[in-house]
Amino acid sequence: MLWLISAQLINGIAIGMIYALMALGLSIIKGLLNIPNFAHGALYALGAYVCYSVSSSGAPFALGLLAAFLAAGLAGLALDRLAIRPVGAGGYLPQLIVLFGAALIIEQVLLIGWGTIGLSYSPPPLLRGAFDLGFAVVPRYIAFASIFSALVISIVWLLIERTRFGAHVRAGIERPDTARVLGIDVDLLLSGGMMLGAGLAGGLALPLVGATSTMGGDMMGIAFVVLVIGGLGSLYGSVAAGILVGLVQSLMTIAAPAASTAIIYAVMIVILLFRPQGLFGER
Amino acid sequence: MPVVKSRREILLSAAAAAAFPIFPAWGQKAAGVTIGVITPTTGTFAFAGDLVARGASLALEKHGNSVIGNAVRLLIRDDEGKPASGVRRVQEAAISDGMRYFIGAYSSAVGLAESEIAQREKLLQFAAGGSEDFTGARCGRYTFQWSAHPYTAMRATLEYARKAFPQKKTIYTLTADYVFGHALLKYTKTVAAELGFELVGNDNHPFGERQYTQYLTKAIAAKPDILLMNTAGADAVTAIRQFANFGAQNIAVVGPWTLEVDQLAELAPEMRSGLILGQNYYPDVDTPANKEFVAAYTKKYNALPGYSSAYAYDATRAILLAMEKANTADVPDVVKALEQMSWDGVLGRMSIDQKTHQLIRPYFVVRCKPASDMRHPADFAELVARGEKPQPPELNECKQMPAL
Repeated sequence: MLWLISAQLINGIAIGMIYALMALGLSIIKGLLNIPNFAHGALYALGAYVCYSVSSSGAPFALGLLAAFLAAGLAGLALDRLAIRPVGAGGYLPQLIVLFGAALIIEQVLLIGWGTIGLSYSPPPLLRGAFDLGFAVVPRYIAFASIFSALVISIVWLLIERTRFGAHVRAGIERPDTARVLGIDVDLLLSGGMMLGAGLAGGLALPLVGATSTMGGDMMGIAFVVLVIGGLGSLYGSVAAGILVGLVQSLMTIAAPAASTAIIYAVMIVILLFRPQGLFGER
Repeated sequence: MPVVKSRREILLSAAAAAAFPIFPAWGQKAAGVTIGVITPTTGTFAFAGDLVARGASLALEKHGNSVIGNAVRLLIRDDEGKPASGVRRVQEAAISDGMRYFIGAYSSAVGLAESEIAQREKLLQFAAGGSEDFTGARCGRYTFQWSAHPYTAMRATLEYARKAFPQKKTIYTLTADYVFGHALLKYTKTVAAELGFELVGNDNHPFGERQYTQYLTKAIAAKPDILLMNTAGADAVTAIRQFANFGAQNIAVVGPWTLEVDQLAELAPEMRSGLILGQNYYPDVDTPANKEFVAAYTKKYNALPGYSSAYAYDATRAILLAMEKANTADVPDVVKALEQMSWDGVLGRMSIDQKTHQLIRPYFVVRCKPASDMRHPADFAELVARGEKPQPPELNECKQMPAL
């Protein structure tokens, strides 16, 4: 039993890092726009499709990831300029509706562009197979995806905490209007959030969940749970919550597998009962 | 100015309303027959919706778009793969469009919910899906089941696995946590015991799950010889994708009802290679009706047909043939005709088990090919076995078919 718990702990941390990356981008956008980005899932799916097209054309997987990163960023910029900004004066509700509509449009565009049949992509040969730890078997790609996510999150942390750019991000998240007045390009930061949490996460998830037009909806449920548990707008809260959700989901499989997804919603309810602002959020 | 009605007028209106049937438009539409195609074009089984509609449309064309002098039209609705949506679509179609027959659903959970409406409103339903309840505990006179019984499917698939892997003894199951998966798990236990396999573990996963590494970590830790996937649709595709990442070559993946031919393209060839899969239909089935169907389908859609299209084609044809046999489009008469007739279907000579409304039919087993053996992009697998063993009567829970 101890071996199984250890194996599930490793698996939980690995998938938790991927959840954390998704939620980090969502958290940045939530801070900048002050509304949840309902189009995040659709951009995540776009990232997966773009990564698939580039990688399966013979280009290296790394190039596919880069293309996914850029495509989600460009789509995010277009979304901001063409949809969010024009209704910005109307406040909270029109922006939500526009984002919701944009998600539906992007999903339909994906269906028209890539068809209704889902797509699969095997990781590059170097990342196929698994590490046999004796007590657990860890797929190389899962290990890569979690280490890569951890690296990206660390770089983002360094950028935010130690650079002038990071100061802009923090200012943008805390007071977007004031940051704009000071000449900080909040829209560019918004695009960065979409690049990270949607495009890159979508590309990274491709060998695990494939590319389907509805994959964004599947991801959004968990990403929002992570965001709420971590505390809305708390960048590091979303990282910690991502790992927590991965661990809970994985460990629950030992005791009650059928409840392994339901349990994360139960954990969210319990945390909100005792800390309505989430684990790392501020009132 | 408000119109004030007397009590007598209100009572007269109520009596008039009661005197008319629940579907007033039906009588007006007697010159035409509407067949509903209630299938998912969104959700977990989104891939199937258009394919089902294609099959039904082809059957109609083969029949000249008419039956016993009536024009026939198809009414296509999205059930979203959700029972509540399916029930709503059936009710709306019956009330607004005079639909009395329907093909659906693709998912058992949706089909069983719709079956309740079919019995209540006397609508003929030709269903697909893997739950045994269609022809068991929740059997109904107005519902017919085209797909194989899960016992037949499990028996055919594990019989082949027994033959192909005589040295493999232990099975770990991954089961979808709803009626479909439960039925497969029940018969896994029955058939595994019959064939000398040992079940070493099972995990139920929620419907729509997209993260399987935690289940697979547990399954691989149990060191089974065979991983039996009692799950289907996008869930199965995702689970197999993630299993491929583990590189566990010593564990054979067997799916009694996991991926139909329609979905095999969703997996990369290296993920698919070596999978042993039960199939309700495969384009290589060698019958005259299937050859005709494959030729017509390929000509029209420039692709090979799969289970979704074959089911809709055959079920729609059976309904039209039953109308011709009954010489009427009245549902109870068509139900009786369908119960008694046999026809040349895509799977061979077909008929209905009157006691359960299960289509008497074979089930197929395929072994997926490596990319190097594929002759064309849709040459996914080789037909390796066929089984027809019906569910033992003592295991069936359909005690008596209700009267019409």
